[in-house]
Amino acid sequence: MTQSFPEEVLEHVFSFLTSHTDRNAVSLVSKSWYDTERWCRDHVFIGNCYAVNPRVLTRRFKEVKAVELKGKPHFADFNLVPEGWGGCVDPWIVEMGRVYSGLEEIRLKRMEVTDEGLEMVAKGFGKLKVLVLASCDGFSTDGLAAVAANCRNLRVLDLRECEVEELSCHWLSHFPDSFTLLESLNIACLSSEVSFSALERLVSRSPNLKTLKLNRTVPLEKLSTLLQRAPQLVEFGTGAYSAEGLDAYSSLAEAFSGCKKLKSLSGFWDVIPAYLPAVYSVCSQLTSLNLSYATTQSPDLSKIISHCHNLQRLVVLDYIEDTGLETVATSCKDLKELVVFPSDPYVADANVPLTEQGLVSVSQGCTKLHSVLYFCRQMSNSALVSISKNRPNITCFRLCILEPRSPDYLTLEPLDTGFGSIVENCKQLTRLSMSGLLTDRVFEYIGKHAKKLDMLSIAFAGDTDLGLHYILSGCDSLRKLEIRDCPFGDKALLANASKLETMRSLWMSSCFVSFGACKLLGQKMPRLNVEVIDERENLNSIPENVPVEKVYIYRTVCGQRFDMPDFVRIMGKDKADVYNLS
Amino acid sequence: MDVTLGLLDQLPSSDGGGGVPSGGSTTMRSILTGSKSKEDNNKNTMVVSTEVTSSYPAVVDDESLDGLELGLGLSIGGGGLKSKTAVTGGWSQYARILTAKDFPTTLVSEPNNSCSSSSSVNIPNSSASGTKRTATDSVSPPNGTSVVGWPPVSKAHRMPNLANQMKSPTENFISKSEQNKSKNRTVGIKDYSDERNGTANKKYRSVKVNMDGTLIGRKVDLNAHTSYEMLAQTLHEMFFSKWPSKEAVKPSRLLDGTSEFVLTYEDKDGDWMLVGDVPWEMFISSVKRLRIMKNSESNELASRCEENSERYRD
Repeated sequence: MTQSFPEEVLEHVFSFLTSHTDRNAVSLVSKSWYDTERWCRDHVFIGNCYAVNPRVLTRRFKEVKAVELKGKPHFADFNLVPEGWGGCVDPWIVEMGRVYSGLEEIRLKRMEVTDEGLEMVAKGFGKLKVLVLASCDGFSTDGLAAVAANCRNLRVLDLRECEVEELSCHWLSHFPDSFTLLESLNIACLSSEVSFSALERLVSRSPNLKTLKLNRTVPLEKLSTLLQRAPQLVEFGTGAYSAEGLDAYSSLAEAFSGCKKLKSLSGFWDVIPAYLPAVYSVCSQLTSLNLSYATTQSPDLSKIISHCHNLQRLVVLDYIEDTGLETVATSCKDLKELVVFPSDPYVADANVPLTEQGLVSVSQGCTKLHSVLYFCRQMSNSALVSISKNRPNITCFRLCILEPRSPDYLTLEPLDTGFGSIVENCKQLTRLSMSGLLTDRVFEYIGKHAKKLDMLSIAFAGDTDLGLHYILSGCDSLRKLEIRDCPFGDKALLANASKLETMRSLWMSSCFVSFGACKLLGQKMPRLNVEVIDERENLNSIPENVPVEKVYIYRTVCGQRFDMPDFVRIMGKDKADVYNLS
Repeated sequence: MDVTLGLLDQLPSSDGGGGVPSGGSTTMRSILTGSKSKEDNNKNTMVVSTEVTSSYPAVVDDESLDGLELGLGLSIGGGGLKSKTAVTGGWSQYARILTAKDFPTTLVSEPNNSCSSSSSVNIPNSSASGTKRTATDSVSPPNGTSVVGWPPVSKAHRMPNLANQMKSPTENFISKSEQNKSKNRTVGIKDYSDERNGTANKKYRSVKVNMDGTLIGRKVDLNAHTSYEMLAQTLHEMFFSKWPSKEAVKPSRLLDGTSEFVLTYEDKDGDWMLVGDVPWEMFISSVKRLRIMKNSESNELASRCEENSERYRD
């Protein structure tokens, strides 16, 4: 088939396509488009590291500059994935090191990263500019030292919520004195001290530094020094925001007032309210404010928030209370994203006056609100209906009522109609997490209305398999489904087997899916890995009709993976119909 | 490839003759073509043009519910409701997976009970919450705090008050999780604590080894070794095998203090000790990590060790 466009023209057209979904769509048009596209794609996104393997990546794409990889399932954040499950990035680093000498950006999420891996990265990718590790673990400050010492072109080192073994406070000193390119440094997740002098010197010699997120151990007294060295900062995360006495106050306030470009503030561990006004001079500039470590009461929170008229993103603890959220509703008219974390998540009745009313207020007052993550202790159908009618533009709605299976506290009914209203009115909804007392009915609503839903999280909900069936057969755009402690079993899963190939993954734990069904699914669907994660002993002698502890099903072109610990089995792949493209 | 979605009749316990017609009623192709146009497909080698048939009718409403279930020929014990009991029947012999449904309403009013399950604290206010929960009757869960991974707050946002006044709930949280590690087999609730080293459940037990002068540490699996000699051999291979033999450090010399380097370890209490003073089993249970130290520094350590080693003598 002759091509009417020269390849070069096609490549040029493709260069305007930056989203990976567009790129993927384009590559499906025809073989020649596929070939052209693969030669010029330089940013690759792999949402599930086990859906492909390193060899598949390097065989298809030849000149990759940026790679993004995700490993463990989302529920790993809540300790539901046992340690040792997998998601190690080392084999990827080895293979990419072999082929992509020009790699500039590596972004990893929920992957296991070792020090050896970091050393390979540091020594193998001389052009590396960006290293972002989000929710990763397995490495220590030794690995960071190797990166600091060897990555001459590094601009961004971002450790987001990682678990780092902190062996030494001197790793920062490994950045050479001649290194001046740093633009972004996020070490907020480290719990031990880092050498302040090394930090100060690094900040002083980094004129392009825009993002600096310190960890808790950097004392407040030292903040003004840093801010004076880096008045060009756009994003700043403080350390512990407390001090003895108020001596440090005026220099801190002055330092903040010098930061004319500051747009984002975070940190604020151990807040002493008397020091909060030091940031007032920058409040009106702020578009993002993260006070989720600020264990201070509502009046202090409200005061600072009332100054933030341009705020678009607010993360806060439930100490803000309903009254504080009313302040948000009146002061922050540009608010797009609200996150309210629980201050005492494990306490049954913590007497914090944050209820559904706070969220309703914000939904009324903030017309641009589109993303919500809200932890509370009570909810009602009427509140949910109000929220959905106030804010039909919501795209991400995650509600966690702390007590599982809590009904509407006013009527004691299930919250089906409330959530039904959310999916019916918020037509652009792409992400939903539900909680509270929910029957199969809510799933019927979701299957019927939530046509743009991409990710759904369910816990302690539903009555029968019909619930799961509604979701799998109705949600056309669904790609990620995660379920825990629901009475869903084999029927709905098997009846919707082919749907699973259109999704990235399905997680089900503490449900009623049996070993037999998992095996059957794995046998019949060669392009799905049906991973049973089960830590009981004598798995081989458990009868097939017994439910598994956890099952993680994902589509893959690579068949089995070979790095599984003994508590993970891929079911139904004993026959030799495994695609092994390596 | 024609994949029948009606896989239900092929479950092991079925009688095979279940009423699922293989020539299905509704094609599922619409789902597949739908997904082609919205893209997320990283794996384009996957040809998404399979025609798939389904025996699930396109529309499900209340009336057809029963008919639906029969039509599927639910041969797991035959028929909708029965299938459930067949499944539950098989559970009893093995460790059950407890779900919220399994928890009886009575659990709520017994503070002792909820304390014995994993994770957290039952605060004195339980009577108040108990009242709230009896109103919800048949679906009352346990005190929601006693469930693993719930509420879904990631580690970074758990217990932000760690250093402040909330010390006791935190301590309770950790000690409860310790208790439950030993109970987890029978109860079936797992508590995945954050400990990295030294949990008895693990079959491998690796610790970090750093050598003075080397940037990158290594990891060694202690459970794969049965004696100090074996360990020294492994470490020798890891760190010294590249060295020319003129300054050869024989494995045993790591242990006897005659070489330039000395092997030390950090124990549970955070103290650094010389390796080799205590019986192997005791060493294994208390070691957190290893360090190959230059001899000059170890003299100071040795004198401290003299004092500390008295702890191990009865």
